[in-house]
Amino acid sequence: MAHSPDPRYAALLDGLLGGRIDRRSAMKRASALGLGAAALSGLPVVMGMAERVAAQEGGGELIVGASQEAVNFNPLLYANTGPETLPEVLMFDSLMKITPEGEYVANLATEVPTRENGGVSEDGLTWTFKLRDDVKWHDGEPFTARDVQFTWETVMNPDVAVRSRTGHDKVASVETPDSSTVVMTLTEPFAPFQALWTSGVTGIIPAHILEDVDVNTAPFNTQSPIGTGPFRFVEHVGGDHLTVERNPDYHGGAPGLQQVIVKLVPEIPVLFTQFRTGEVDVVDYQGLQPDRVEEALGLEDRVVVSKGSNFVEFIYFNNTLPQFQDKRVKQAIYHATDRQTVVDTIYYGLQNPTLTYLPPTHWAYNPDVKQYPYDLDAARTLLDEAGFVPGADGVRERDGVRLAFRMSTSAGNQARESAQLVLQQAYNEIGVEMSIDNRPASTLWTEDVPAGNYDTLMVAWDNAIQSDPDPTSRLHSTMIPFEGGGGANYVAFKNEEADRLMEEGVRETDQEARAEIYRQLQAILAEELPWAPLFNNVDNFGHKATVQGYRSNPYLATNFDNAAELSITE
Amino acid sequence: MNLDYAFRRLLQMAPLLLGISVLGFSMMHLAPGGPTALYTLNPNVTAEDIERIKEAWGLNDPLHVQYLRWAGNMISGDFGNSFRGGAEVRDLIVERVPATLQLMGTAYLVAVVLGFVIGALGAFRQYSVFDYLATTGALVTLSIPTFWFGLMVIFVFSERLGWIPSGGTQTLGSGGGGLLDRLHHLVAPASVLGLVLTAQWSRYFRTSLLETKNQEYVRTAHAKGLAEPTVLRRHILRNAVLPVIALAGVQLPAVFSGALVAESIFGWAGMGRLFLDALTYRDYPILMAMLMITAFLVVFGNMLADIALGLADPRIGARS
Repeated sequence: MAHSPDPRYAALLDGLLGGRIDRRSAMKRASALGLGAAALSGLPVVMGMAERVAAQEGGGELIVGASQEAVNFNPLLYANTGPETLPEVLMFDSLMKITPEGEYVANLATEVPTRENGGVSEDGLTWTFKLRDDVKWHDGEPFTARDVQFTWETVMNPDVAVRSRTGHDKVASVETPDSSTVVMTLTEPFAPFQALWTSGVTGIIPAHILEDVDVNTAPFNTQSPIGTGPFRFVEHVGGDHLTVERNPDYHGGAPGLQQVIVKLVPEIPVLFTQFRTGEVDVVDYQGLQPDRVEEALGLEDRVVVSKGSNFVEFIYFNNTLPQFQDKRVKQAIYHATDRQTVVDTIYYGLQNPTLTYLPPTHWAYNPDVKQYPYDLDAARTLLDEAGFVPGADGVRERDGVRLAFRMSTSAGNQARESAQLVLQQAYNEIGVEMSIDNRPASTLWTEDVPAGNYDTLMVAWDNAIQSDPDPTSRLHSTMIPFEGGGGANYVAFKNEEADRLMEEGVRETDQEARAEIYRQLQAILAEELPWAPLFNNVDNFGHKATVQGYRSNPYLATNFDNAAELSITE
Repeated sequence: MNLDYAFRRLLQMAPLLLGISVLGFSMMHLAPGGPTALYTLNPNVTAEDIERIKEAWGLNDPLHVQYLRWAGNMISGDFGNSFRGGAEVRDLIVERVPATLQLMGTAYLVAVVLGFVIGALGAFRQYSVFDYLATTGALVTLSIPTFWFGLMVIFVFSERLGWIPSGGTQTLGSGGGGLLDRLHHLVAPASVLGLVLTAQWSRYFRTSLLETKNQEYVRTAHAKGLAEPTVLRRHILRNAVLPVIALAGVQLPAVFSGALVAESIFGWAGMGRLFLDALTYRDYPILMAMLMITAFLVVFGNMLADIALGLADPRIGARS
C-alpha cells in the first residue's frame, strides 16, 4: 500500500482502506486532486484490498504465498514435503504434534504415551494410545480408533503408493479394543515411534471414505480431502490457489481465521513483490530468498521470522575411496573448509553454524565435540603427519594415492557452485586437488549417489523421521545401498561403536538418556568425519504485522502447525 | 471445399500420431530420472519405498507393456491418472482450458490486429520513419527475453506504480473474481505475450504485403486503371494473406498449449504451467496427454490451413 507515486494518492488510499471514504467519493476526490488516469486506473486493485480488509473484520482471511503447488492432499501419499505439508497441517491431524521447543504434545490422542503413564510397556514393545472421543471428520462422521488402524493398514498396503513405511514397518499389529483406544505392538523397541505419529509424518486419514476404494486414485486425494483438522477444504484451482475455511467444530477450538488461501506464485522474485505489495499476507514454505531478507527487514508493517530448519548442509565423503581411508586427510580438508566465509559471502550471513548433523537447537545436540576451525597450517601439519607429501604437480600423495577428488552437487545451484570455488581454492593451498563435477539433479540423487558413483557431495539432508535424532538410515553399516543395504548411508560409514550407539538409541525411550547416546555418537562422528557438516540451513519467512500468532517451528517444513491459533488484527 | 480431401488428410494423421506416441513415450521413459526422483530428496523415503512406489504405479513393467496399457486406455478416451494424487488427467487438462484460451486468445487477437495494422503501414510506407520505428521496435521486442520483459512489467506497473496486480488470474478471497477483476489480471500477461507476437506478425504481414505489392498482376491492375482500394482489396490483400494463413495454422497448437514463461512469471493457471510442473515431476500421463493433443493440433492446424488456403486461392484446391 505504501508504493503509490503521489502522497496525496497515498492519503486517499489510506482513507479508502480505513473505510473513511467510499469508492465513489474516492474517484471524485482523485479527479479533483488532478491525479488523472494513472491514479484512477490503480483504484480497482485498491478496491479489492479495501473489500478484503472489510472481510477480515468478519473473521479474517489469510493469503499465503507459495512458490510450489500442493496437488496431492493425502497426507500419506504426497511426495513434495514442504509445499504439501502445509495443506496437511491445515486440514489433517495426527495423534501427536511437536512444538517449536521439541516437545511432543497430544493432538488426536488424549496424552502422549510414556512408561510413566502406562502408555508404553516396560519392554517398549506395546504402545497404547487413548484417543479423544469428541472429534468429528469434516463430513460429520465421528473419528474413532478404526481410523488410526486404517491409516496404518494403508501405509502397509502393498498396492498403495504411500511415501514411506519407515517406522511403520516395525509394527506387528494394531488393535482397537474399543473405539477410543489403539494398541500397537512393535517387533522391536523403537524410540522414534513418537515422532512417527506426529503431523508432517503420519496424518490420520478417514476409514469410512477410503476403505474399499483405490487409494492411489481416490478423488479424496485431490478434490475432496476430508480431515479432522482446523480447516475444511473449499476448493483447489489447479495452478492457481487452494482455499480452506474454518472448521467451527475443531476439537482444539474454532480457529481465529475464517479462511486461508494458499496462492501459487511460481516465480520467487514475484513472490517477494507480492509480499511487498501486500497481495500475499504470509510467505511460508520456501520462504524469503537470502538476497531479499535485508530488504524485507526494512519493509514497514512486515515481520521477518527466521528459523533453523531440520536440514544441515554437508560435505559427504565417499568413504570407500582410497583417498579417504586415513581420517587425518578428512580432518585436514575440514580444517581448510572456511565455513564462515561461505556463509558470510554466499549466504548473506544467514545460516547457523553447527558442529554436527543436528541443528544446534536440537534437544540432542552436542556442542562439545572436536572442532576444526579454519586453519590451513593445521591442515598441512595433519597431512604431513599422515605422510602425504606434495608431488611434482603440487598435489600431495602417499604410496600412489593422490589427494585429488571430485565434488558434485545439483548443477545450477548457484550458491553451492560459489561455495565450491571457495573450498577449491583453500584445498589447493594445502596440496589437495578438488575438481568440480556437478550433475543434473535428476540423475545425481536418484542414480549416481545410491550407486556410490561420486567422490564427495555438497548436500543438505535432514533425519529420517524429521524431529527424531536417529540417523540409523544414514550411518549404520547395514544401510549402505551400494553394498546391498536398503538405507541411505551414502557415505558408506562403518563403525562398530557408532552402530552400537544407534541400535541403543532407538531402543531407549527416555529422552534424556537418548540425548546422552546421541551426544556420544556425535563425538565419534566429529573424530571420524564420515561427513563434514557445513552449517544448519536457516529459512526466513515473512508476514504482515497484522497477522497474529505466526511463529516458526524448526521441526516442520511449514509453520502453520498452529494454524488454529492465527488471527488478523486491524 | 473437397470433403474427400479433408477425410484423406484425417486418415493420414493416424500413423503419424502413432509414431509420435511411440517416440514420445520411449524418450520420456528412457530419459534419466523419473517420477520418483522427488522422493529421493526425502531421507524418510528409502530405496525400498521407491521400489514399492514404482511397483504400485506399474513403472517396473517392461516398456512395451506400459506403452500398450497406456495406448489402450488412450484409444478408449482415458488419458490415465496423474502420479501426484491420482487425479484424472482429462480433468486436469480441462480445468486449464479456459484460462489458457483467455490468455492466448487475447494475445493472438492483439497480435493479429496490431500486427496487421503495423505491417500494412510499414509495407505501404516502406522506408518511412514509421517503418523504421516499427522494424526496430519489432527487433527489440523479439530480442528481449520474455522472462525479463515480464519481470520488468511487474516491477514497473505493479510494484512501483501499483496499476496492475503482479500475478494470478483473479483477486483471491472476498471481493475478487468478477469479470473486471479477471480482465485486470489479464492485462499484463496478455500485453507481454501480445507484444512479442505482434512483433512477429507485423514482420510477416509486412513482408508478405511487400512481396505481393510488387507483383506484376498488381502493376497490371493499376495499369488497367482500377481504383486503389479495389487493387488493395482484390489483388494485394487476398494474395498477401496466403502465407499468413499457413502461419496461423502452424501456430494454432500454441493457443492450446499455452505459454511456459509468461504463465510462470504472472502465475497464470494455464496449460503451460501444467506442462512445466508435469515435466518437473515427470508426471508421464500428463506429459503424454499434452504431447498427443499438441501433436494432433499441429496436424489438424496444418490441415485447416490447407483448407483455408484452398478457399483463399483456388489454384491450391484445384491441385489437390
